[in-house]
Amino acid sequence: MSLSTSLSTALSSLATTAEQTSVISRNVANTNNPAASRKSAQLVTIPGYGVRLATVNRVVDTALYNNLLGATSSAAGQDAIVAALDRLERTVGDTELDASPAALLQKFSDAIQRYAATPHDTVAAQSAVAAASTLASSLNEATALVQGVRAQADADIASSVDNLNSLLERFGKVNTEIVKGTRSGADVTDYEDQRDQILLQMSEEVGIKTITRANGDMAVYTDSGVTLFDKTARTVSFQPTLTYGAATTGNAVYADGVPITGGNATMAVDSGRLSSLVTVRDNLAVTYQNQLDEIARGLITAFAESDQSAVPALPDVPGLFTWSGAPALPAGATISTGLAGDISVNALVDPNQGGNVTLLRDGGIGGAAYVYNAGGNASFTDRLQQLYDNLNATQAYDPAAGVTTSASLAAFASSSVAWLEEARNTAGDEAEYRNTLLERSADALNKVTGVNLDEEMTLMLELERTYQASSKLISTIDSMLATLLSSVG
Amino acid sequence: MKTTFISTSYISAATRSSLMKVQAELAEAQKEMTTGRFADVGKTLGFQTGQSISLRQEHARLTTITETNSIVSTRLEASQASLKTLVSSAESFVGQLLASSIDGANASVLKTQAVSGLDAFIDTTNTSLNNAYLFAGVNTDAKPITDYYETPAPANKAAIDAAFLAHFGFTQSDPNVANISAAAMENFLDTTFAAEFADPAWTTNWSAASGQNVRNRISTNELIETSVNANDQAFRKMAMAYTMIADLGLEGLGDAAYETVVNRAVSVSNEAIYDFSGLQAKLGVAQQRTTDASERMSIQLDILATQVTTLEGVDRNEAAVRVYELLTQMESSYALTARIMGLSILNEI
Repeated sequence: MSLSTSLSTALSSLATTAEQTSVISRNVANTNNPAASRKSAQLVTIPGYGVRLATVNRVVDTALYNNLLGATSSAAGQDAIVAALDRLERTVGDTELDASPAALLQKFSDAIQRYAATPHDTVAAQSAVAAASTLASSLNEATALVQGVRAQADADIASSVDNLNSLLERFGKVNTEIVKGTRSGADVTDYEDQRDQILLQMSEEVGIKTITRANGDMAVYTDSGVTLFDKTARTVSFQPTLTYGAATTGNAVYADGVPITGGNATMAVDSGRLSSLVTVRDNLAVTYQNQLDEIARGLITAFAESDQSAVPALPDVPGLFTWSGAPALPAGATISTGLAGDISVNALVDPNQGGNVTLLRDGGIGGAAYVYNAGGNASFTDRLQQLYDNLNATQAYDPAAGVTTSASLAAFASSSVAWLEEARNTAGDEAEYRNTLLERSADALNKVTGVNLDEEMTLMLELERTYQASSKLISTIDSMLATLLSSVG
Repeated sequence: MKTTFISTSYISAATRSSLMKVQAELAEAQKEMTTGRFADVGKTLGFQTGQSISLRQEHARLTTITETNSIVSTRLEASQASLKTLVSSAESFVGQLLASSIDGANASVLKTQAVSGLDAFIDTTNTSLNNAYLFAGVNTDAKPITDYYETPAPANKAAIDAAFLAHFGFTQSDPNVANISAAAMENFLDTTFAAEFADPAWTTNWSAASGQNVRNRISTNELIETSVNANDQAFRKMAMAYTMIADLGLEGLGDAAYETVVNRAVSVSNEAIYDFSGLQAKLGVAQQRTTDASERMSIQLDILATQVTTLEGVDRNEAAVRVYELLTQMESSYALTARIMGLSILNEI
């Protein structure tokens, strides 16, 4: 072996060490980036030449990574449900605040009892009607809030879909780079990190599965098996609905032309934010609205007036509480969609609209035939006692409201609160569990694929020594060559 | 060689995430310590929140009924006081009547006493409380008994005068009254005069009260009558007794007719007193039931309040200990983070 061969080998060592150093500095730069994986330089020995950098590898743990994808989807989904339930809970507030429909119902019932104790007192009548107005407007506001939550969920679905589309587009670009780079043998590890990061972001929106193919190419499917990316990005489409009423039905999300949400979707996604938002929009908020509607229907029914003629001929009509369908009464034990947003205190009784509050005591809101206090007595309490009894009497409710089907109005209202709080309680626990799982998965992956600064520093020391040794070799060979040349010359 | 590997960011992430959890718990524990209730009652209790709301509803309901019971009690007390006044006036009136029939005192003195008695009787019967007449039944905005001595002569006075005139053919102040026999007077008192205090004349000329009494809910399922009304026999008889002496021309009557009227007045007054005691007993029972109901409810209220606290309450001491433990945990976590961050190979090379 000649000196010049030794020289070129030492040179190759210098070059390789420089490249290894650059890998180390990339690692050090990424120490605090949990998305980056640790890179390591692979060297090959070339006979007669020395060493050369073959490839840069990155540490991957597919099992842990797939765990992380799944955990991300399920945690993001549950968080969306918890957030929506927290917003719905604003209709209830702390039990101590007595702000829930159930508590306001009780306040109203108490106001009736007070009015019945001093029936000649107009102030007591006004306070009873005011309590009724508060109750009706709290139901109206609750409806607006619930529909607001649905509209928000719809808007969130739209932005989630937008996000998904732009992620798919970026995914496509990065994927192309990886395929090209792998074919030409370039270092694609940073692209691969980027692609993993994009996939993680995607998994927040929708549960995904991936398949890796030749040349590092990757295809992405939803957890239900609908193609999101295969060679090219598929379009995820959604038609947002801007305003929500109780009767509004939101649109489904389509991926690659296939519905992936909603009751008709055969390939519905079952994790990720998207599916949870659809659950909020189409199930949770709708069920809660149904319960509010049933409370409203119960109120209208309890305060309905019946014909007081000797031979009753006229049908029952809404009394203190009325709705847009008056003079008809809402059908019994059936949800009348959006009634809670529609219920109001009858203008004939409401003093703010020029009404007469004593009609609450005397009846006759529906007309002369419905007057209960025929004698016009100031302390007539029969009607008030009847109303109080009606409020506390057992009524039948639509099973679709998801709570009890037979209870007093007050009990129904409080079991609606129980339903909501129980949903919050379980959703909260579930979210905590899933987030812990996500944290553990992220930690486990990070623990294995992340950078250890101490290790990099130790490697650096080794490289420093190698560099010094190679440099020393070069200078030694140089002096040997000089010796040779001087003896020749 | 495969060695145990751990990334640097994992080491710091572990302490960071545990710190955040501790801080969140600390905020909750602090709130619980100060309020004595769960930080988020609904979320902690879950479906039991419904029970908590029901307990609160029941508490509010009973509180309201207890409040309205005190209104009812006040009215009952006022009614009892009025009845007591009516009875004692009636008793002293009977005393006057008996005294006059024994010593034959001046008829005009007796008449004057009856006139003021009738006036006082009407006044007392028309007692109102908080703008509601006590003895008007449910028709509490109408004065129950028409004032006999108003000018111009009201319906009741006019009707008595007309009845007298129709029966005897002359008015009470006519000198002819001296000629009315005891039998004729007795006949008048039994028929024409008695009819003035029976329906329909009573409810037309004398009383605007409703025969229907006020009813109140004194507990969740007790609905009782809490008033008596001026249409009761007691009021009619008392009015009759006073009117007999006050406005049948007593001072001009012959001795026999005078005797008849006074005797009749005594017996009617006594009947009225007996009937009044029945009314007092009835209101007394209502008073007792109201008080009993309030007492029962106050016990229930205590139990309900305790139950709410049991459901929603947190042991403040336990919360305080938790705050202390969390603080210790945070401090040690800070110390640990500082130590770990200080550990680096960079310090050694």
